[in-house]
Amino acid sequence: MTLWLMAGLLFTPLAWAVLTLLTGFRRGRAITWLGIVIQVLVSLALWAVVAAEGGFQYPLGGWQAPLGIELRMDGLAVTFVLLTALVAAASGLHAGFYLDPDKDWHRYFWPLFWFLWAGLNVVWLGNDLFNLYVGLELISLAAVGLVALGGQSEALRAAIRYLMAALLGSLAYLLGVALFYGQFGSLSLSGIASALNQDIAVEGSGFALILMFFGLALKTALFPMHRWLPPAHGIARSPVSALLSALVVKGSFYIAARLWLELGATLGSLALAQLLGVLGGMAVFWGGWQAFRHSKLKQVVAYSSVAQIGYLFLLFPLTWNTTEAVIIQAQQAMTLQVISHALAKAAMFLSAGNLILSVGSNRLNALAGVSHFLPFSLFSFGLAGVSLMGLPPTGGFAAKWLFLQASLATGQWWWLVVLLGGGLLSAAYVFRVYRASFVEDSDIDHFFHPSRRLEIIPMILALLSLGLGLMAEPVLSVMALAFANGEGT
Amino acid sequence: MTRVLAILTVTAVCFAFLSGLVYSIWQIGATTTPVDLPALLAGNLDDSGVENPVTAVLLNFRSYDTLLEIGVLVIAGIAGISVAKTSSLEDPELRTSDELLYALQRWLVPLTLLLAGYLLWAGSDRPGGAFQAGAVLAASGVLMRLGGIPMDFLRPGLMLRLGLSLGFSVFLLVAVASALSGSRFLAYPPEMARTLIVAIETVLTLSIAMVLLALFVSAPINNAEEPEEGGS
Repeated sequence: MTLWLMAGLLFTPLAWAVLTLLTGFRRGRAITWLGIVIQVLVSLALWAVVAAEGGFQYPLGGWQAPLGIELRMDGLAVTFVLLTALVAAASGLHAGFYLDPDKDWHRYFWPLFWFLWAGLNVVWLGNDLFNLYVGLELISLAAVGLVALGGQSEALRAAIRYLMAALLGSLAYLLGVALFYGQFGSLSLSGIASALNQDIAVEGSGFALILMFFGLALKTALFPMHRWLPPAHGIARSPVSALLSALVVKGSFYIAARLWLELGATLGSLALAQLLGVLGGMAVFWGGWQAFRHSKLKQVVAYSSVAQIGYLFLLFPLTWNTTEAVIIQAQQAMTLQVISHALAKAAMFLSAGNLILSVGSNRLNALAGVSHFLPFSLFSFGLAGVSLMGLPPTGGFAAKWLFLQASLATGQWWWLVVLLGGGLLSAAYVFRVYRASFVEDSDIDHFFHPSRRLEIIPMILALLSLGLGLMAEPVLSVMALAFANGEGT
Repeated sequence: MTRVLAILTVTAVCFAFLSGLVYSIWQIGATTTPVDLPALLAGNLDDSGVENPVTAVLLNFRSYDTLLEIGVLVIAGIAGISVAKTSSLEDPELRTSDELLYALQRWLVPLTLLLAGYLLWAGSDRPGGAFQAGAVLAASGVLMRLGGIPMDFLRPGLMLRLGLSLGFSVFLLVAVASALSGSRFLAYPPEMARTLIVAIETVLTLSIAMVLLALFVSAPINNAEEPEEGGS
């Protein structure tokens, strides 16, 4: 049964990419919906399997690591697989109604969408350094292709900038992989971790780890390497922006987190951990401030992503040289932050797309009076904003609460400033959007009403993000259970 | 002043990078690896179905990576043709009328086609294989295109998309067939390994050449207007 599920998980996105490449937009949409149903069911079933029986290894082609490639299906991986299925399904459904079927180049959205999904699953399951690199490449190139879709000069400019940043990041990561291979003769992450635990060949590998972190931080748009993100996420079509902000940047962060949790204890250092944490903290403030200042709706949401990504990097200082209980707590905080941000940000971008569709402009002050016409999308936007601010009972609140407890347990009180200040800044930029939409003296009297189907999807995502704080217990128990299971295998 | 500071910073970063790299490589040279992968590879080569260790790694032991890498190439091809201006194929200004090129082409194109075939065939027991053969095939395609030989299959249409995805689809079908027959995803039955690998390599050669050629042909211009959505 599990073998079938794994084959389905790996095969469906790749096969659907080919199928949709061969068809036009409308037929591709119908095929995609079938594929989405399959993927969501397979992901749910795998989640149930891992919840019941714990994680497992899956050697591809029947070859064991280190000769072949082994996938690792543990709680964290399956949680992210399920999250990807939810967010990608929502974005795919939204895109089916949002994109204009008569524009010839929109047909290429579907194959790129499926390749992106495939690449994300590769990364979540990857336990082999080079395989992770290939996953990163799939994600980056598909994402760049989606940003450039159609090839207008503005989009091309943003896409090329994105491509350059992504390529530099990939090369730095690949150089680190090569150094690790030279040192340990193996590409398997668990193989390297077990060699490190036996005190073999530590000297010099710290540099490889730093190189990989540089590459991955660049791809995750960590401050001050975030400059490529707002133009790319801002110019892309809204369902694409939702995918990029919710999932794509998390891929490279996930690899960094895995590396740190497996190898950080021996190869990392206090300075590296604090540096990553401080950069994350600065990202929270800088991203929040830029989001507050920007005059365009989608750029506000994109800069808000820069800020929210910053919180994730608190994982590094909070898991350095501390007790097992605090490490688990910080991991839970990181997982909740990833999930709640993914749901909230996808909801925000999709509802921002609806707002732009109805007023025909991306400027904030064009939203004047929109509260009369489009309260539903505006409401979804606000609900997602509540989660970003970290108010109870949202997932964002649960994540920040756990981060706070981990900071206090390790005596690193200075992260409290980041957690509280970041919440206030998010409140400021969300209310700014609301203020613009409640301005009364608008003389615009025609609004395009997007269909209900477009409005219901971000609403569901926002509600999920809101309810995550209440459902955190089962999610976290699966994630933590399998982390213990995945260790030492 | 700021210029000097910038130069100094860049120099310092480059120096730190180089010294870190040299130190790491120095350490790597001084230690023995805990896992001896080449020996492991040599021990399993007989089961892989081919004699060239590189091909064995690419198409059997780590075939998952290769499958995904072909996916990356297909993505590049899709991204390329999605921003292409379709009429550029008929653009007479893009053709050269160089006598020397025409003369050379008559010699070079058959030779490169032959070379591509040889590289593909050689891949099973010595250096060569789909990637090299595909690159050479694409190079002869570039020559033909520059010489103005009409290649209608490169026009954005079903033929082009079929060609782009052919190698990937066949590879994927083999992977799924192995999963359906009861073993793992991508596990070839041992007695068929060689046949399957050669078949995959052949279609891959065509698709790799197609991707490279499509990227060469597509020119990223699109004058159509879309409603404003981003913009900085």
